[in-house]
Amino acid sequence: MSPPQQPSSTNPNSLKIRLTHRFLHNLNNLNKKRSNLDNTQIHQRYNRVKLAAYASMAHVVGSRRAWSRAILWKIRNRKVSTRHKRVDHKPTNHHHARSIKRRTTNHSNPKREYVDPNGNSGQEVKLRKLVPGVETMDACGLLDETADYIKCLATQVEVMRNLVDLFSTI
Amino acid sequence: MSSRRSGSGASRITDDQIIDLVSKLQQLLPELRNRRSNKASASKVLQETCNYVRSLHKEVDDLSDRLSRLLSTIDDDSPQASIIRSLLN
Repeated sequence: MSPPQQPSSTNPNSLKIRLTHRFLHNLNNLNKKRSNLDNTQIHQRYNRVKLAAYASMAHVVGSRRAWSRAILWKIRNRKVSTRHKRVDHKPTNHHHARSIKRRTTNHSNPKREYVDPNGNSGQEVKLRKLVPGVETMDACGLLDETADYIKCLATQVEVMRNLVDLFSTI
Repeated sequence: MSSRRSGSGASRITDDQIIDLVSKLQQLLPELRNRRSNKASASKVLQETCNYVRSLHKEVDDLSDRLSRLLSTIDDDSPQASIIRSLLN
């Protein structure tokens, strides 16, 4: 299935279509990996669906936005770290180690308590924790990213709701 | 929210820019959309934004849960599966 071309705007209808395509594509890949079902598998599947939702959101928007870059970075980091866990017996993959190091030094430490010297309201700090990728942005950037994030997140929720309705009625 | 903070780069953030962005954000929030834009203060908009983002995250969690359960009940050989397959291709 070929993905639709990338338009430059986030006009709501085209965004919805792109999100639907991408999410269905990810779900289909998920379904193919299916094995025996028990409780742990169901929880695993839930996590994979959730990950697929955020991944397809981030992929559709690409690197245009800080929040989507942050999500994509987190996903790639997860994949690399799980690969490292499995490959214990092999010698260290220097290229991977170097690239991980480069990534972590480029990002300011997100775990540090965000203290704003200008004494901004607690709401802004809370917002920075909710929206990915905006920890060190200025006020304008933060508001702009938040608006875009909300738009995409709301559309993703709509897509998922439609799919749930569809799958539960057929 | 402080509007007196200067930007880290060369550009200075004006109060107008912040007001514009706040009102743009307000339009996206389901709670505040109906009110006239001047009525909601910046801190109220921020608060509603936080609540809205949290509720959206929760909805994604909930819908992921339902979707994963639905997907697991669909048998590969059933007519439902073939409908889904035709959707995906």
